[in-house]
Parts: sequence; structure tokens; C-alpha cells
Amino acid sequence: MALIEAAGVHVRFGDRVVLESIDLAVPEGEFHGLMGPNGAGKTTFFNVLTGRVKPSRGKVRLDGKDVTGLSSHRIAAHGVARSFQIMTLFDEFSARENVTVGLPAFRARGFDMRHAAASDPGFAESALEILATVGLADKADVRAKDLSYGDRRALEIAVALAQSPRVLCLDEPTSGLGSDGVQRLAALVGRLKGKLTIVAIEHDMEFLFALADRISVIHWGQVVARGTPQELQQNEWVRRSNLGRFA
Amino acid sequence: MTITPPPSSDATRLVTPAMLVLWLVLATVPLWIAKVGLYPYLGIEILIWSLYALAFNLVLGTAGLPSFGHGAYFGIGAYAFGLCQFNVVANLWVCLVAAFAVAGLAGALVALFISHRRGIYYAFMTIAFGQIFWTLAIKSHGITGGEDGLLKIARLPADFGVASFNLNDNVAFYYFVLVLFALAVMAMWRLTHSPYGRVVAAIKQSETRAAHLGYNVWIYKASIFTLSAAISGLAGGLFAMAQLAAFPDVMSLHQSGYVVMMTLVGGGLVSFWGPVVGVFVFLIARDVIGALTNAWMLYFGLLFIAIVLFRPEGIAGAVSAAFQKHSLIRRQGNSAMRLLFGGERWR
Amino acid sequence: MFDLLPHLLNGLTLGLLFALIALGFMLIVGLMEQINLAHGSLFALGAYFAMQLMGSRPPFPAELVKVWFAMPLGWRYAATLVIAPAAVGLVGIAIEFCMRRTYGKDPLYGLLLTFGAAMVIEETIRLVWGTRDYVLQVPQAVSGGFLFGDLIWSTYRFYAAGISVAIIGVVWLVIEKTSFGATVKAGAHDSEIVRALGINLTRLRLLVFVLGTVLAAIAGIIVAPIWGIRPHMGVDAVIPAFLVIVLGGVGSFWGAVVAGLLVGLCVGLSGAYASEWSLLSMYILLVAVVTFRARGLWGKKSVLEA
Repeated sequence: MALIEAAGVHVRFGDRVVLESIDLAVPEGEFHGLMGPNGAGKTTFFNVLTGRVKPSRGKVRLDGKDVTGLSSHRIAAHGVARSFQIMTLFDEFSARENVTVGLPAFRARGFDMRHAAASDPGFAESALEILATVGLADKADVRAKDLSYGDRRALEIAVALAQSPRVLCLDEPTSGLGSDGVQRLAALVGRLKGKLTIVAIEHDMEFLFALADRISVIHWGQVVARGTPQELQQNEWVRRSNLGRFA
Repeated sequence: MTITPPPSSDATRLVTPAMLVLWLVLATVPLWIAKVGLYPYLGIEILIWSLYALAFNLVLGTAGLPSFGHGAYFGIGAYAFGLCQFNVVANLWVCLVAAFAVAGLAGALVALFISHRRGIYYAFMTIAFGQIFWTLAIKSHGITGGEDGLLKIARLPADFGVASFNLNDNVAFYYFVLVLFALAVMAMWRLTHSPYGRVVAAIKQSETRAAHLGYNVWIYKASIFTLSAAISGLAGGLFAMAQLAAFPDVMSLHQSGYVVMMTLVGGGLVSFWGPVVGVFVFLIARDVIGALTNAWMLYFGLLFIAIVLFRPEGIAGAVSAAFQKHSLIRRQGNSAMRLLFGGERWR
Repeated sequence: MFDLLPHLLNGLTLGLLFALIALGFMLIVGLMEQINLAHGSLFALGAYFAMQLMGSRPPFPAELVKVWFAMPLGWRYAATLVIAPAAVGLVGIAIEFCMRRTYGKDPLYGLLLTFGAAMVIEETIRLVWGTRDYVLQVPQAVSGGFLFGDLIWSTYRFYAAGISVAIIGVVWLVIEKTSFGATVKAGAHDSEIVRALGINLTRLRLLVFVLGTVLAAIAGIIVAPIWGIRPHMGVDAVIPAFLVIVLGGVGSFWGAVVAGLLVGLCVGLSGAYASEWSLLSMYILLVAVVTFRARGLWGKKSVLEA
């Protein structure tokens, strides 16, 4: 059974149809890539999956459970984490604190007003562990806004990982990274692959074709092609639209 | 690359060295305040307004929510104290709890309407609600005494069962307010450093991210506003005791603006103690410049403009920047700094 | 029904005045995305300047005073309607020069700066003119009253409403039908477009801000004979202006006009039945509308929400 599933998702903003009947079923452990030209509706689809946008029609199910139209904090609590294409970090917090706030254990104590957050070393340790997985262990105490661009991208993912999610939604994780950064990221995602269910929007074809189990191509708010990277390379539509030039 | 210092141990303390120093200094105030040409009542005013400004800064500084109608809750607390005394029971503790609770209730009611908003619309709505409460206070002659105010409020004795203290004397009342102030400061310090406080600070920086991390942003925004309103109400109750009356003018747009000014001038956006610094500067300037010229608001307005333009982080921010510039003093300076302004960069 | 007519008319004229008061505030908020909290003080300043000019001791050199008093009252009034707003415009220039430092920052800073400016202006007014009330002299033609349907109507109210309509119309024409308006709309706040078009953004902002302050001053002169002139009149004006903008929706011209009329009617009608609470009615109207329509009647999404 699919862990995260969208069935017939429609989204309209006013009289503009952004998504038209999108189906997607990602089984547990799969890395599913989403690609398509800008404005195709990929991010809107992510917003539906993570509860930012309510679909006009259609269902979103998580592990068989209907989560359509739940607010983002509920969906997040169900184990769906996301990163953002436009970096969305707590800029004044240190890297460690950014991750700490993401920890489910911290969230569980979110209404604790009586104890000092810093008096629990458990949070700092867990945060440091997660920072280490993305290679930021030595920058744990640097303020998020003072990190380099590449490190900020890594922190984006670390914050999402802090939630120990079941589904990780990555919105253009390589956006703005140089080739070194992309390689670092590919190595990281490669290590996560299989342990987590990942849905990733990505323009970098090389990145996606190397890592994804399956890929869906979204255009004009519809899925126009779907398959393994090998299958897609044969796909008429993908070839015609000049694969490499999506970005 | 700036490296923030490792989380200072102050964050985990209930009472920091800075607090101790502040309280000790404040405790000596009645001994010398008359000798420098001021008067004990000013000390009471400073403490009460500091409490109010600190409570207000929970909303402005910690949560980043621009509330421009906070005077309403200060005023409601004052009225609640008086009305409770006249109509329910003339017990100090009950009346103070009433001030806290009624103002908190009013805050919760407003929070229901505004907590899904941000930025300027939030500000607009807080102004509108502030004006509603202000108008109600002025027009409800039968209850509040209208523009004449609610008069003859008594300073009820502080009854501890075994002993009872008369607070009619300004010095006695000063120490009573100081104790409450100290307790409230401890509570607010802990609150801002608790997981709850950190989540609120995170929401200030990115509501979107916080929501996607599983936090119900609305509840946090509503609760911090309610708490802030309740503590403002407590300060208002004390103010009613100090003035022996409750007046509607503290609820006006102007007076609500003053608490914003005090908080920002002092540096509430960067330091826990900013609001207190601001209140000191504001009230002492009022008395000192006010004694020389009756246009002191003009000069204070000019000072405020200058601070917004050149030192938007306020006095506490400027002091901390000055400390950071001089690496020589930094080693000794940092501990002094931490003593004064609460250690870690406070956001 | 006929009993209600005077209140309806009263509400409508009041509504037009509210729309006029809000006009300058709306321009600055809508086109520059800046909140000018000094709007009320500039409004008051306009009234005080006008009162000084129309009074017995105009601030001119002795020779000019003779020429001034040689003019008929109507002429002097007309001249005042130009000179006083122009003088307030100069104050506007000074504020805008300070405000430049806050562009690109959180709009909160602009708001705080203008709050400070409002304080300074109000205190200056108190220092120069004291706290007493003043009356603004107006020409005979528009003062007094007339009898209609057994009721006495104030001529000035109708004159003020007429002027409001005219000024609102002129401002609308300037924004919608002139190239200046087009440029301004292209984005006094969207600096990229304007720069791409090769327009001097600094000057554009200055012009918009000064236009806003001049309109505030004109509103002050028009409203002064009805409300009286006293230091507090600025606050009495800036609050309805606020309300009208939020109700109408930030950035919507006709939203502000309609909201002004609505607020006027609301205050006028509630004044008929419970005059004590007429002030409150407009806040309740605001809360009611904004609870259901987050951005007011016709508001657009704005950077001010961020």
C-alpha cells in the first residue's frame, strides 16, 4: 500500500485551474521525483500534500488515512516533513536551535513554560546528531543567517529530518547550489534513500535520474508521464520536450 | 561569520546575576531617591511601567506581533482592581487576581479575532480593539466613572495570615511592588527561555516553517497575547493602587503608543531588559526635562525619531554593539554585559 | 422615514469628510506601502496654519498684511486653501527626507518614525498655540444655515461635502488619467519596474508623500469649522482615517471612498439613536467587516502583511 497518496487532486485559484486531477501513490521507501516546467503546479501540489493549500476536489491519504484539508501543523504531526525552495529558516536561531525546534520531543513540550529549554541536554544532543548527518556538526552554534548558501540548504534538510518524518518532501533541494554542493547533497540523499519515503521536486535531471526510483512529469497541472528513470528516457513526451532544458 | 556564544547558563537560571544586581539596586532606591531631588512615587511608577513594558514586549519582542492597543489591558486591569474592591471583596490578593484575569480574558477575546493575522493588519486590529475598550471605558459612566475616572480606590493591606502590612505609605508600597515585580520578572525570564518561549520566538521568524514543523501557530500567537494582556492587567491593578484611582487615559492610543516607544527606545527587540531601560529613560526624562521645560514630549519625540533612524535596536542594542566593538574590554565586558543585558543575543 | 432623512444626510456628509480625511493617508499607504501616523498631526497643522492666516495676525511682513486685509474675505479664504497646505507640504518634505532611511526595512520603522513625527508636531502646536480652542473664519457665502422642510441645515456641511467630492474626483483623475498617476501606480513601491522605466524613484516617492500631506492639510482646513481647532484634532482624524483604510482595503481607492461613506452613515445613524455610542459603532463595523473579509472590502495582498 502506498504510504502517501493523492487521488484526483484538483486545485483552482479563482477561475484558474492550477492542478487538474493529479494522482500519485508513493509506496514506503520509494524516492519519487517530480519534474516539469516552471509554473506547472509542482509546488502547489506539494502545498496540497503538506496542508498549505486545500484541494478543490480530490483526496490526500497518508498510510490509508484521509488527511485531505488538514492544516499544515496536523499533517506535519502525522509525519510529513518538507523543505522549501525559498529558504525558510529561523534566521536568528543557531543551526542547532533550528533543528531543536523541529524535534518531535521538543514539539511535545511546546507548551512547557516552566522549564528552561536549554536545561535539557537531550535536545542539544539529538540536534547535533542530525546536524552531523548533513555535515553541519561544526557549525551548530552559527546563526542560520550567517551560514553560507550551501550550508543553509543543508540546514533546510536537517530541520525537516529533525521531525523524524515518514515522508520527506523536498522542494528543489539543489536550487542555487554549485556542482560541489549538488554532489554533497546527492550523497546525503543517497544515504537517506530507502530509509525514508521521499518526494522531491527537482530541475536537476542528472540528480533526479541518478537517485529517483520513479519520476512523475507534471505539465499544465497534469501528470503527463510517469515511470522509472529508464522508462522515462524512452518516453516520447519527455524526449520531445527536450529533457535537459526543463530548468 | 558571527558565532553566537554557546547558550549561556543564564538561559537555564531562574534568577540571573543581572536580576540580583537590579533588585539590590532597586531595593536601595527609597534610601537615596529623595536626596537626588526625586521622590519615592517615581520609583513606584517606574516599577509598574517596567512590568507593563516587559509584558508588552512578550508580544512585540518575543512574538514579533505589533500590538498598538496594549494600553487597553493595562487600563482594564486598573478598573478590574477597583471594581473588584468595591463590588466583590476588598481583599488585595483577590483584587490583583481579578486584574490579571479580567485583562487576560479581554486579551483572549481579542486574540480570537486577530491571531490569524500578521504585520500591519494585526496592528490595525489591535488599534481598533484598543479604541473599542477605551471608548467603552469613557462612555460607561455608571461603571467606570467615565472621564472622571474610578476614584477612591484603596491600597488594601497585604495580608499574609500571620502578618498584615499597610501599604498606604509610598515606601512600603514601593517594596510591595518590587517583590511582585521581581517575581513577575523571574516568571517572564523563564517563560521566554522555556520551550514555549522558543517556539514563540521561532514563529516570529517564520510562521510557515513553524507550522510545517507541526506547531499550531494560531494557539501560540493567541496564548502569548493573552498572557501578555494578563500581566499588563496585573501592572494596571498595581497602577490603580498607586494612583488610588483608575482613569481611561492610559487606554488611549497615545498612551498605548508610549509603551511601544519605551520598549523600542530601550531596545526591547534585542534584549530582555530593553523595556526596563526604556521605562527608566522615559520616566526620568519626563521628570528631569519636564522640570526644565514643559515641552519635554517634543524633545522626547525628537530623541525617539533619532533612535528609530540611527539606532533602531535601541539603547540596549547600542550598548551591546559598543561592547562588541572593543575587543579589549570584551573579556571583562562580556560578563558585565551579560550581567546587564541578559547574556546571549536575545531574540 | 422622513425623520431619518436628516440623519442619513448628516451621515453622508460626514462620510464624505471621512473619505476626504482618509484620502492622503490612503495614497501613502496604497502607493508607498508606508503608514503615515503623522497624518492626523499634519491635518491639524493645516487647520492651525489656515486659522493663523485667516485670523487677525497673519504671519506676513507688515506691507503684505495691508494687501492681505485689502482682499475680500472670500479671496483670502481661497488663498489660504492654497498657502496653508503648501506650508504643510514643506513639513511633509522634511518627514519624507527622514523616512528615506527606513525604506526597504520593516514597514514598522516607517510607522514608528511617523509616530515620533506626530508627537513632535503635536507638541509644537501646543507650544505655539496653546491648548485652547480656535475657530476658523469662513466666507459668508458658505456659513450660516438655510431652511428646508421645516429643518435648518448648515450651509457649510454641504459646502464641505461638495468640496470633498471635488477633491476626491480630482485625485482620482490624477491617478487614473495622467502619466504621473500611471507611473506611480506602476509602483512607487515596486522599485524594480520603476527603475527599469528609468524613473527617478526618490523623486517619485517624495511627490507621493508630499501629495499625501497636502491632502491631509486640505482636509484639516475643510473639517476645522465643523470640529473646531484644538491640539487633539489630529488624533480625532487619524483614527477614522485608519478605520476607513482598513475597512475599504489597503490599496483600493474606491474601497476607501465607500468605506468612508459607510463609516459616516454608521456614525450618523447610530448618533440619531444612541449618540453616546456613535463613536463605538464605527469600530464595531470595522471588526464585523474585517472578521469576515480579511483584507477589508476591496483590499489586495500587500507587503505590509509580511
